[in-house]
Amino acid sequence: MRRLATFALALTMVATACGGLAPGGSDSSALAPAKDVAPAAAITWWHAMGGVNGEAINRIVTAFNSSQSKIKVEAIFQGTYDDLLAKLNTALASNAAPALVQVYDIGQRYMYDSGQVVPMQAFIDRDKFNTSDFEPAVINYYKYQDKLQSMPWNASSSILFYNKDAFKEVGLDPEKPPVTFTEVADAAKKLTKKDASGATVRFGFGPSIYGWLFEQLMATSAAPYADNGNGRDNRATKVLWNSAQGKAILDWWKAGVDGGYFYNPGIDNAGSTNAFNSGKTAMYIESTATLRNTINVAKFQVGTGLYPRPDNKPKDGGNIIGGASLYIMKSRPAAEQQAAWEFVKYAMTPAVQGQWQSDTGYYPIVKGAYDTGPSKEWATKYPQFLTAITQIRESPQNRNTNGAVLGVMPQARQRTQKMIESVLLGQATSQAALDAAVADINKAIETYNKANP
Amino acid sequence: MKGWTSRDLRGLGTGLAYLAPSLFLFAAFVFIPLAQTIYLSFFNTRATGAITTFAGLDNYLELLTSEAFRTGLLATAIFALYTVPIGIGLGLVLAVMLNQRLRGINVFRTMMSSTIAISAAVGALIWLLLFNPSLGLLNYVLSRVGIHGPEWLIQPTTAIIAVSITTIWLTLGTNIIVLLSGLQGVPEEIYEAARLDGARGLRMFTRITVPMVSPSLFFLLVVDTVAVLQAFTQIHLLTRGGPVDATRVLVYSIYLDAFQNFRFGFASAQAVILLLLVMGLTLIQFRFVERRVHYQ
Amino acid sequence: MSLRTVASYALLVVGSIVVAFPLLLALSYSFMSESEIATFPPPIFPAQATLSNYEKVFGTIPIGRYLLNSVIVSSAVVVGQLLTASLAAYAFSFLVFRGRQLLFFLFLSTLMIPWEATIIPNYMTIRTIGWLDTYQGLAVPFMATAFGTFLLRQAFLQIPRELWDAARIDGATTFRFLISTVIPLSRPALGTVAIYGFLSTYNQYFWPLLVTNQVLMRTTQVGIAQLRFEESLRWGLVMAGVMMVAVPTLALLVLGQRQLIRGLTAGAVKG
Repeated sequence: MRRLATFALALTMVATACGGLAPGGSDSSALAPAKDVAPAAAITWWHAMGGVNGEAINRIVTAFNSSQSKIKVEAIFQGTYDDLLAKLNTALASNAAPALVQVYDIGQRYMYDSGQVVPMQAFIDRDKFNTSDFEPAVINYYKYQDKLQSMPWNASSSILFYNKDAFKEVGLDPEKPPVTFTEVADAAKKLTKKDASGATVRFGFGPSIYGWLFEQLMATSAAPYADNGNGRDNRATKVLWNSAQGKAILDWWKAGVDGGYFYNPGIDNAGSTNAFNSGKTAMYIESTATLRNTINVAKFQVGTGLYPRPDNKPKDGGNIIGGASLYIMKSRPAAEQQAAWEFVKYAMTPAVQGQWQSDTGYYPIVKGAYDTGPSKEWATKYPQFLTAITQIRESPQNRNTNGAVLGVMPQARQRTQKMIESVLLGQATSQAALDAAVADINKAIETYNKANP
Repeated sequence: MKGWTSRDLRGLGTGLAYLAPSLFLFAAFVFIPLAQTIYLSFFNTRATGAITTFAGLDNYLELLTSEAFRTGLLATAIFALYTVPIGIGLGLVLAVMLNQRLRGINVFRTMMSSTIAISAAVGALIWLLLFNPSLGLLNYVLSRVGIHGPEWLIQPTTAIIAVSITTIWLTLGTNIIVLLSGLQGVPEEIYEAARLDGARGLRMFTRITVPMVSPSLFFLLVVDTVAVLQAFTQIHLLTRGGPVDATRVLVYSIYLDAFQNFRFGFASAQAVILLLLVMGLTLIQFRFVERRVHYQ
Repeated sequence: MSLRTVASYALLVVGSIVVAFPLLLALSYSFMSESEIATFPPPIFPAQATLSNYEKVFGTIPIGRYLLNSVIVSSAVVVGQLLTASLAAYAFSFLVFRGRQLLFFLFLSTLMIPWEATIIPNYMTIRTIGWLDTYQGLAVPFMATAFGTFLLRQAFLQIPRELWDAARIDGATTFRFLISTVIPLSRPALGTVAIYGFLSTYNQYFWPLLVTNQVLMRTTQVGIAQLRFEESLRWGLVMAGVMMVAVPTLALLVLGQRQLIRGLTAGAVKG
């Protein structure tokens, strides 16, 4: 009996020592500052939201600052996500990082490996913060081995946009958008319109060559992006794009472009949006974040549908959340970390989230937000958004739909774009392009893992 | 020092006195950082930039044996060959046109050199709009005159041309201003004397104008080559190095490795190689081309 | 008006429109609504010009402050560059000393160093000496210029040797000759260096982004970036920002042109 007790005690001690590193179960509150640490009087928050979104952030920060007198948050725009990360990296090296920083989704692994982050889970565990109302799909993306590393901030997903007027014009049902690859191709063929000289004045479908869209297509195809549970069970060692599903995606895409009913705007995402808004394409796939602007700018009725998936509609297939999240930086004093957490809590209240959604078009992180006034108003003005919400809620939650975690994710995304380009340009067959891309990124992963043990 | 007389040293001292302010700034903000970069190129680094292990020549070997590097060199060479001669040639033609004494010539001068007022980022954005097949005016205008414009940024060959056109446009302002300044330094007497000798039109241009303005031409050759080999922003905004790495010039590759892939040691090695290449090229230009420059 | 003059004007008009077209288009777009821009075939002139984009720019970023900062920093750089480059170019043209060629190449080599190789160490330096969020931090690293030195060297080399010899005979010091003769005779080149220096500093993006955190110390290009969304591009808004930011530079260009002319008519270099 005594030996069992000693053994159990030893186990507990080991478990506690491993604290935040052991998957699942154990408490990581030790990583957060003690609960009684007074929050700092001022902290900075670096973000990459320009234009209207930036205004929305300023509004939230101003409201927070005037709602209490203990903490003052200063939100600073730091350029695009790329620029912000470059600046953060530089700042970290010279100890000038802010307390709170927004980093894009694919920067996850990099942030963990930097060792510079205080996981949000630490604060959640310490304060027993209730996250039951948080949108599962959104939270799951930013969890690593069951611990929430950062707080999702601006979440978007991908959907099919389509031109209802064009649908009516060619005799398609405007309330029943295509869902599978074949359905999309068939609809696109019908929607493609040529003029007297044979030039195409409208293409059926016009996706841009964007790595994120490819990742989404892999997810709806229930195909893993990387090994080791998409990089979530353990560090990924290779990518798995050269599967049958990957090939099917590329074949479908290429057939469309070659057949003249898919439009190829290249890597220009804004270009693909403009093409759709101006009626040059009748359907396209993009982020839900562009929905509001499209509805306001397009001179036709905009419809939204589920993101395309293979004909057999794999039931494990679903969409991945995109966007960015907020990290609390370890290099700042405990008081600042505390203050950052106070702000994060405020930002996650339904009222703030509802207004944020209404101002920007991003998903609210908490479900309670949908019951707030601004959110309800939004739903009435933009009913098309409901598709997006339903889609993300109905997506099964598994390793694939939670998104890949890769240290070289930005590089991988770039490489998939080059891969798609080479196939569409006829420089390589789908399989060859996939194999070449996979080989390149596997090498990059190897280098990364060696450099960041 | 061998063979240095005290007069030599004094001369050097005087020279250095004039060069001191520039040298001090260069040392602080160019040479020392460069030394740090060269140092870094011999190491492996973590994603956050911290040095992990000594790599020796590994980074350089990896670079020189990679196909991506060869593609990058080719892209850089093609890009430079398209952009520099045409940019300078066009600048010269326009500068000559602008060198006339006509009323209101200032308006035209301002309009043509206005590209210098536009930053690379802004210029690239405007041209992105123009090259855009769906919203872009370029192909639309071409279609009105019966030409079916290419998919500028989608096809590898035309993508380089598109970036080249954008760069030529961006540097046109500088080229025109420098050449105009050079042209205006040519005394009228020289033209008159040549006219008396019977020179006209094209002959006047090639025998008189070009040699007289050759210091400016040479200057632009060196400076534009260097600038083109460092052109980053327009590539970042127009093509991101694509399609299929067609525009992935060396300086863009460095950006990707340094700021996207966070491989600072490796990026530093690339920067060193790019520097050596540019230096070599400039030396060649000075050695073989400056000879033909006519200084008064 | 002779046929030749008419032809000249015609060519100039066509050439100017072609070259300035992208800029004129940006101007046109800045007055269009987003809805109008997103039509096909693409419009050239706004059907209904609107100032809403400009209003939005004012509402989104403190453009006035950014313009002020950019003008201050760019002007400081110009002054610094004119000083350092004139002195250096003089050494490279009129002074003869051993090692001159080597030092000239050393100068030129600074042009060839990729910016990525220096930008991060420079950030660290500026941070260490406490110059983040200051005008000095933005301006000082650029006050030496190989481009300017080279350009002035070419111009100084054009000054006839006889003037130099005559001055020596008169007992003028080296420095005196620079001030009294060389500088006044090189006005077009100096003007060019000034314009170029101003504009290249004005158009910087990455450096100001790195060394400024305070919104009020930022410069125009960072401001324009703020008008661009991560997720969607509003052309009208961006073009309005672009136009507002280009106003000082275009004004400088107009003034600079006159300076270049004056340089010519104020008793040219020779004779």
